[in-house]
Formats: sequence, C-alpha cells, structure tokens
Amino acid sequence: MANDESWFGKFVNELHEKPWFKCAGAWTLVPIWARLTPVKPLPGGVRPSIQPGDNLQSMMNLIMPLKTENRSPIGRAAAALAIAKNRDQIFAGLDNVGTVHFARFVIVNDNICMFSVYDGDFTNYIRDFIATIGSAFNDVVKLVEGGDAVTPCEENVEAFIQWIHEHDLYQVPDTPTDFLRDQEYLEGDKAVSPVNDDLTLLPRKLVLQLRANKNVSLGSGYRAYPGYSVAQVRKQLQLGW
Amino acid sequence: MFDLADVQGNILRGYTGKPHVRYLILEVADAMAARRWLAASISGRYHGVPQITTGDWGTAKPETCFNIGLTYEGLRALGTPSSSLAMLPNEFIAGMTASAAKLGDVGHSAPEKWPAPFNEPKRIHLIATIYADKVEQLEQIQQRALDRNALTLLGTREGCTFPGEKERDFVHFGYRDNISQPRFEGVPDSQRHPDRQPKAPLGTVLLGHPTNLEGLTWRVPQPAELGHNGTFNAFRVLKQDVAGFEKYLDQAASFLLQHPRVEELLPPGNEEKIGKGLSRCEALREIVAANLCGRWRDGTPLALSAEIPDPKMDLTDFDYVGVGDSRCPHGAHIRRCNPRGGQIVQRIANNSRRLVRRGVPYGPPYDPAKPFERDEPERGLLGNFIGASLGAQFEAMSCDWLNLGLQDPRITGSNDPISGANDPRTSWFDLPLTSGDPIRLHGLPEFVSTRGGAYTFLPSISAIRYLGSLTT
Repeated sequence: MANDESWFGKFVNELHEKPWFKCAGAWTLVPIWARLTPVKPLPGGVRPSIQPGDNLQSMMNLIMPLKTENRSPIGRAAAALAIAKNRDQIFAGLDNVGTVHFARFVIVNDNICMFSVYDGDFTNYIRDFIATIGSAFNDVVKLVEGGDAVTPCEENVEAFIQWIHEHDLYQVPDTPTDFLRDQEYLEGDKAVSPVNDDLTLLPRKLVLQLRANKNVSLGSGYRAYPGYSVAQVRKQLQLGW
Repeated sequence: MFDLADVQGNILRGYTGKPHVRYLILEVADAMAARRWLAASISGRYHGVPQITTGDWGTAKPETCFNIGLTYEGLRALGTPSSSLAMLPNEFIAGMTASAAKLGDVGHSAPEKWPAPFNEPKRIHLIATIYADKVEQLEQIQQRALDRNALTLLGTREGCTFPGEKERDFVHFGYRDNISQPRFEGVPDSQRHPDRQPKAPLGTVLLGHPTNLEGLTWRVPQPAELGHNGTFNAFRVLKQDVAGFEKYLDQAASFLLQHPRVEELLPPGNEEKIGKGLSRCEALREIVAANLCGRWRDGTPLALSAEIPDPKMDLTDFDYVGVGDSRCPHGAHIRRCNPRGGQIVQRIANNSRRLVRRGVPYGPPYDPAKPFERDEPERGLLGNFIGASLGAQFEAMSCDWLNLGLQDPRITGSNDPISGANDPRTSWFDLPLTSGDPIRLHGLPEFVSTRGGAYTFLPSISAIRYLGSLTT
C-alpha cells in the first residue's frame, strides 16, 4: 500500500510531513503503538563481525547522565574536574590498553560522554582499560546516575562492563534490513520481515525504537581509509607498538 | 588455606591415565529428584549415583572419574535463587550460541547447523563427564548416573585417546598434544615440567581467588558456597578435517617447491634432518605443518628448535621473549593461543588469558594410506577450555587473538591457521624467512569446525551440596 501511486498512497506517504499529523503522532499514535507493541531498547555498541578486518576501529559513544544533584554548572564543573584530575592516568591507561585509537570526553546537556575508537572486542577493551587504570575512572563514574552500583570498577568488572554497554549508544545499521534484523533478533524472532523495510517510509519499528532509545548513532560513519589496528598504524609510522 | 577436596577433580587434573571419556548431555526432568541426585553424588553412597571425583583423592586413585558441569538453564531448572543467578557473568547467562560471532562459529560452524542435542541449547542443563580405563566402565557409570526421574539423557559424545603407548599423546592432525597445563600458585605441581612461564594465580582458574590482573576480581555468585572454588568451562565438539589438512600441506609444498626462495626455508640436503627418508616435498610439508602449529609434529617447540624437530629439546621450557618471527611465526597456533611473555599489543594481557585445556580425540584415526576417501567418518576433538572468566579468558583469546590476530600488527586481519574460521578466498599465513620478508601462503580452508558445545559452570563440592539442599 505504501508504494501505491494512488491519491491515498500519496496521502499516507506524506502524512509525516503534516504538522497536525506530527502532533497527533507524538501525543496519541506513538504512545498507543508503544503500548500495543512494547519495544525493548536495542543494546549499544557494534555487533562483532564475522570478517576479522571489520572488527577494527569500532566506535564507542558512551553517554553517562549526571546524577540529578550534579545537573548544574557546579556539577558539570565537578565532572570536568574529575577528568582533568585523572587525565594523565586515564591517558596512560588508554595507551597501555594498546587497542585504542582515540578517546575524548565531552559534556553535553548534563551528560558526560566518552567517545572512542578501538580495535577488537568491546568487553576486552573495557576490561583491559579498568585493569590498567584501576581506580582513576571511579571519580568520574561516581558523579553519574547508577554509578554507585558499579564502583569501585575494578571490583565490579562484570557489572561495570554491562553498565558501559548499556550506556553505549545503539548503532543504527546502515541498511534497513540489518536494523529490522536487530529488532527481530531481540524479540527472539530470527526471520526478517519481507515487507516494510524501507527506512524512508518511517517504519513503525524504527519510530518505536527511537522512542525507547532517544539517542542513537547513525550508521558506521565515514571512513577515509579501511580499518587498520592501532599497532598496524604505529608500526607503519615506525613509532613502535 | 585452599582445599583441593572442595574442587572438582577435572579442573586441576587431566586424568591422563584414563583413555576413555564419555559426556552425558542431560536435561533436568524433575527439579526435586535432580537435587537429590546432586546431593547423592557427593558421597556416591546413595541411590547408586556415581561419586563426584574431587581434586584430592589421597592415595586411592579412583578407577573411574565422574564430574559435572551445569549450564545457566540447568542452574535455573534446579531452582537456584534468582539473586544468585543474576550474579553470573553475562557470557554464561547468554550461552555459547550467543557468542557465535566472537568464537568464529559461523558458516559450517554456526549453531543453527549443530546436530542434536546441541540444536536445542536451552534444553541442555547438565553435562556429566565419565573418564575410565575401559568402555564397559563407561557403560556401568552411565547406567548408575541415569536416574530417569531426575534427568533425561539428550545425547552422548564419546572420545578415546589413540591406542598405543606412543600414539596416546597424539591427536588427529598428527601433532603431539596435551603437553602442558598452567601451573597454579598454591597447587602441588604434579607434572613437574620445567616451565619458563610464571605460575598462574589460582584466580585464573577458580572463582574467589586473586587473578592475574592486578586488583581485579571476578564476581563470585552468592552465597559463597555456590560460587567460591567454582569455575567455568567452554565445552566444544570440534570436528577436524584431517584429509583436508593433509591435502593443504600437499598444496603448500607444491607451491613452495616452485618458489624462488625455497632454499632459505629448506637448504638442499636438509630433508633427512626433518625426518628420515623424506623427499623434498615431504620435508616441506612438515615445515609448513610445524609453522602452522608452532611445534613440530613430535612436539618440539619452534621457539627452541626452528630448523629441525629435536627430541632432545624440552617441550615446555620456553618463552617468546625475544623470539622473532624467524624462529616461530607470530601467527602460529600455539603462539596465538598463548603468546607467553612475548611482546603483544595488549600489554597487560600477557599470561592473563591462560586456560586449562582438556581435550580427547573422537572418531577413528585418519589413515594416510587411504587418503581423501569419500564418506570419511567424522573425527575431531572433545575440548574443554576452563577458566574463572569466560569473557576475559576463553572469549578474549578466541575473538581477539585467534580470529582477529590483534596481538601483533603482522598478523592482524588473519585467522588462526589451524583452528580459525578460515575462508580460502581471503585467508593467509606468513612463513618466516631469516633473511627478511616472509613467504605468504594463501587459500587455507577451515580445518576445524564446531559441531556443538555449551558453557558450563563447574561447581565446587560445597556448591553441589548447596544445590542439592535447595528446597524451592
């Protein structure tokens, strides 16, 4: 029906652009959909690929909301200070993990964020990071919602890795089919819907997922060159690895 | 003080004297009866249930050994409190099939292709292992273990070391195996092999003890009697394509014979040193086989003797510190699995991903006199990879080291040449040469494919007692 060229098809396809529909959708339609078909938020981070070369230069987009009492200029300053105070230790730790290309800390709307690019398996990255820097990251995590339950990180490794995983943004795949596969896999259904996989038509599943997951990362991003590991780059540049 | 009698025997002992092993793959039929069965297994005095073999059998060596592992579904089926279940690690809760991409279980090895009983992973609750001298003993213990009220038998897998005094140490690809295991602090070293690797902290293999990563501890499921002294096992049914492996060695040797730099790899006249009566092509086959593994087929480590197999060399007393590519390829199987003290990218991971490995071959030995017959019987290895953290040890090794080669920039992007999920269209392996650039081999197929498996928790004796006493 959605591809129908009839006036009704055209009307339906353009609905999402109508201001009255946007309003009705946000306040009535989507909440009703969400009630009828509850959607779980898809987990964050990249999915491991079966092609070894694809598991290089993966992105982590960690969004950690500050505790309510820290959502103020003073709270944000405390977060900035927690990073600054432990900067050398954190950077030395990242260096020793050996698989991290870049990592930076950003404050966005009462969230402290860590964006990084790393090689290999996500859990190994986080585990090695904690093993290397020990307590230095605890000062940051303590300021964040839910952080108390996972500090000290080095004594709560499994819980901490899970917590990071949950705060890492869901990465919407580049292709609609992969998105629907993610969604259906989460619901225990391995068959991909044969229809309604055109993301330009705003499928209901995407709308509901974006309701459950307000912040997401879109696609695998632009790359100027194929994936190389940190050590491959350092070796090529004769920096030692 | 650590009590060996509280730990299941198969964790710290290899039962190497017992050639026959059978795995019973079981489902809990009735929780209460299964808990009675567990309680009876501690002493072995009631209801005929075989006694669990512990790490301390004193002077009376048991005639047969019996051990158990429980999956997450199994612990749930037994009525383990949800607060305890929630403390189990994610990898274990999700099960082996959820980690398929990390473990290289894709294509032919994908869980969807596993035969019964592994095609229904949620039904696998308990895997019991019987080690014995004779097949009849396996039968007897199986009969005693099977209490139809408590447990339903979903399937079995059976392995046997190769017959013969010399052959018993070898496995299907023709290599000597089961050479050494990590030595642990505080545990008597029964092997007494000289070993340049440091002793591993007990927390490498048992929950509740210090780990190799300074200051890091793994979560111990509570109550303490449930988690303490327990550990995790990755049980794997690994099919080995021996005919395909031998065929690949032929192919690689033919390629090398034509290669302009082959004389660096095998100086003319050296064939006899590789093996008695070997032709040039046969000697090159053995050189390739040694480089793929990191050991000559007789077990000699390349790190100690790169040019020829040398029976006088120690099999275990070596390290990769300062051992360059020309002595042992960085991509060789045993070096990828355990880079020992050698330089690796993940600087803190040296010695932290060590595992206890227990493997026994299954299926008939390959007969080189009848190569490449159609309808080859299935053969392979029933492997157990034991460590206190599935994520930090078994999965970390499989994902980043075996299937990605992240530990060394020279091998990044390649799979393990022997056990990796290789695709001949993209696979490669570098044969090192002393003069510099290596010779790159291409077209390695998948020699090992997964035919089943499960993550199990190997509970301590206290934990078995605790589970047996649950009343919910």
